[in-house]
Amino acid sequence: MNTFLAALFSGTSRGAIFALVALGLVIVWRGAGIVNFAQMGQAMFSTYIASTLITNGNSYWVGFFVALFAGAAMGALLDILVMRPLSNKKKTELLSSDSMRAAVPVIASLGILGALQALAGILWAAEERGFPAPAKQEGFTFGSNVMPFTAFDLFVISLVALTLVITTLFFKKTGIGLAMRATALNQEVAKLSGIRTNRTRTLSWAISGAASSLAGLLITPTSNLSPNTLDLVLIVGFTAAVVGGLDSPAGAVLGGFILGMVISFVTFYDTPEDVFLSILAVLLLVLLIRPRGILGSKDVRRV
Amino acid sequence: MLKIENLVTKFGSVVALDGVSMTAHESKITTVIGANGAGKSTLLRTISGLEHPAQGAITWQGESIVGRRPEDIVRLGIAHVPEGHAVISELSVEENISMGSLFRRRKFKSDIAKAMDEMYQLFPRLQERRKQLAGTLSGGERQMLAISRALVSRPQLLLLDEPSLGLAPLVVEQIIDSVNTLCRTTGLTVLLVEQNANTALGVADHGVLLALGKVVADRPAAELKADENLRAAYLGY
Amino acid sequence: MSNLKAHSIARKSLIRTFLFTVVMLILGSRFDAYNQAQLALVLILFIGVLSVTILTGISGQLSLGQGALMAVGGYSTALMMINYKLSLWIAIPLSIISAGIAGLLLGVAAARLSGPYLAGTTLVIALAIPTLANRFMSVFKGDEGLPVDVGYPPAWFSNTFGEPSYEKWQIYVALPFAAIALFFASNILLSRSGRMWRAIRDNELAASLNGVNYSRQKIYVFIVSATFAGLSGALYGLRGLVGPSVYPVSLSLTLLTAAVLGGIRSISGAFIGTVIVVYLPDWIEKALGNFSLSEQVSNFLPALISSLLLILVVVINPAGVAGTRLHKHK
Ligand SMILES: Nc1ncnc2c1ncn2[C@@H]1O[C@H](COP(=O)(O)OP(=O)(O)OP(=O)(O)O)[C@@H](O)[C@H]1O
Ligand SMILES: [Mg+2]
Repeated sequence: MNTFLAALFSGTSRGAIFALVALGLVIVWRGAGIVNFAQMGQAMFSTYIASTLITNGNSYWVGFFVALFAGAAMGALLDILVMRPLSNKKKTELLSSDSMRAAVPVIASLGILGALQALAGILWAAEERGFPAPAKQEGFTFGSNVMPFTAFDLFVISLVALTLVITTLFFKKTGIGLAMRATALNQEVAKLSGIRTNRTRTLSWAISGAASSLAGLLITPTSNLSPNTLDLVLIVGFTAAVVGGLDSPAGAVLGGFILGMVISFVTFYDTPEDVFLSILAVLLLVLLIRPRGILGSKDVRRV
Repeated sequence: MLKIENLVTKFGSVVALDGVSMTAHESKITTVIGANGAGKSTLLRTISGLEHPAQGAITWQGESIVGRRPEDIVRLGIAHVPEGHAVISELSVEENISMGSLFRRRKFKSDIAKAMDEMYQLFPRLQERRKQLAGTLSGGERQMLAISRALVSRPQLLLLDEPSLGLAPLVVEQIIDSVNTLCRTTGLTVLLVEQNANTALGVADHGVLLALGKVVADRPAAELKADENLRAAYLGY
Repeated sequence: MSNLKAHSIARKSLIRTFLFTVVMLILGSRFDAYNQAQLALVLILFIGVLSVTILTGISGQLSLGQGALMAVGGYSTALMMINYKLSLWIAIPLSIISAGIAGLLLGVAAARLSGPYLAGTTLVIALAIPTLANRFMSVFKGDEGLPVDVGYPPAWFSNTFGEPSYEKWQIYVALPFAAIALFFASNILLSRSGRMWRAIRDNELAASLNGVNYSRQKIYVFIVSATFAGLSGALYGLRGLVGPSVYPVSLSLTLLTAAVLGGIRSISGAFIGTVIVVYLPDWIEKALGNFSLSEQVSNFLPALISSLLLILVVVINPAGVAGTRLHKHK
């Protein structure tokens, strides 16, 4: 029973973080038609920035907000410097086919991932370091029992829930949110409506960058920080996004929690070594049964 | 006034517009007619900045607009309703309309609610379906929505691409009537592309006949309507 | 007619392969021990990069799982050599078959996927496969891995050609395989399948209208590409160890980087890219020899520079080094 509860709680708080990562991927996918494999590289980098600030005597929250901002700025820069020039470059020989047009941005994002990881190695060495949590990481006590649920878990879950509510409201209720959705759904009509699609797309990258930086800040207290620690998180986030449906923000959240549970239960009841294989199994299963994901729409056309 | 001179637009080796010159006069309806593939849509798309001309000039109120982006051209008062009921199916009716006014929300904040209301007055059926997804509308309602999305930006020039496409005659009449009334009462300039020459020439002041990317006739609408030879030669009826 | 064509294609590829072999032999005999080892590495990775050229450059499918296929080749070879005491000349060809089977499985899954879905799925595969080493400890020996190497040349070889150094023997082992790979790659590129696969890349719809069975061809490409990757992985493991740390995900990325830098559509591009990737650390060290860099910097500088080069090539000139040349000549 206790194992079950522990797995459930850990699955919830991990799932919340994976939901954020998946949401970051979905936002860029919808906005720009690109899966950003550099996403967790950006998160790693901004978490290092936070770590440096904090070890130099700044408060956790200074590091926290600077990291979110850095994540957003990196996302925006990545779009402006790399992805936008690439999408304006339709006529080169290599980009002449649809399949290569899909492949080349992926290659570019892998290059960015590599560059960020190498740069982090140069700036901060490759050794793992810890990253602080803003709340206690010991389980709540209930009478004489220690519950498998910590103040930090609570912090993670409430922060992620807050973020999800804010992003949902932003997309549904604000003009910029509407402009971003319109750009993602139909660029031509968006442009004809006077929406500056280049800017809204850059904004998608920035929001996604901030969301994934938040994920980085929330996961590193339990996983430590090194240039490569977040690679696994990207894989899980990608799988979560595909499980939920790459074009569905709600699906991303659902997928995140599913993956959180799967990983947590495999870890508690089987062995951590099977985590990768279970992720692969979930991914292949979904791709075979429902390639568009659980909440992915069948014929939403991206432009 | 919109003035087009010697406009050439190409798609690879296909020359869709081959030296088109024409004018859309202030507060008048000008219609462009022609067979399939004549280049009508390409003409509108080049004006609104979706396609880039290889050559030629487009002058709007004395200013060249060649090379500007579509999102800037809307801001100059040119609204384009592209071919095929272009609305965003996954957004609600209300969102589709308000999308067209987003760029005005800073400078003309107070006018936006009014402009939206006017759209609902123009097409009351849209008001009843405000919260519905655009994808669930009928073809006629979608066309009304697409026109509303364009008009809510309060353009001086409306580019309308085949509003009759796939619609029943009664609905076409209703839509064309609304546009005609707008033109006559508010002074809107309209450039109407149609294959359905009779309907278009019936309301238009001026007609331009396009064939294979070239202007073959440019005359008052009534005159063009009466010319049976031209019709037989270029429209086949 | 088509026979004659096939004939002339084979001849062209044969000439290429012959020239390549001769040049490599000459270089191998001139180089010092360090550069001989580097040359052997170039030959080995060249085969792996060709697998990317075929898969991504020709057929337009982006896979990040080539490293996992290399691991399949490496483990198969190592297991056969250790458990059955097979000579590497028998173990390697057999392990190519096992890599081909892995490619078949991957291809069946991949045939339904495209673009980022394919890239992401193969990335997950690349991460998951090496964990099997720990899952089946008794067979694969976990993180410790299986130690194997190219060993020593047979007596008749040493008697005829003299005793080669270990590094030189590495070249002699890798070169025949690299030459065979080159011959096949060149043939594929020039042949009917190559054209068909390009058609798939350029336009799925048109290809399927022309009667190309789209999914089946996609699977064929995966199998062929997997045999190249498996061969490369087998030789790569023979440098000393077959283990999860030898075939990390970054290996897949290295192959991709090499293929893109050189020019993802051509064989010469694959070779140029491989040379760049292998020698970049040396060049950087030489260029910056006067500045005394900390270990931290010099460890990561090559990765940083090759990543930046990758981004630059993609953004500025997505045809790569060899692609540029091709353009100018046309
Ligand atoms: N994106 C494009 N790529 C290639 N060719 C195009 C493109 N758009 C239009 N064309 C070609 O340009 C020519 C003119 O097309 P256009 O759509 O302007 O015709 P149209 O007069 O609007 O026809 P319809 O009445 O059928 O709508 C046609 O030959 C068409 O094939
Ligand atoms: Mg048309």
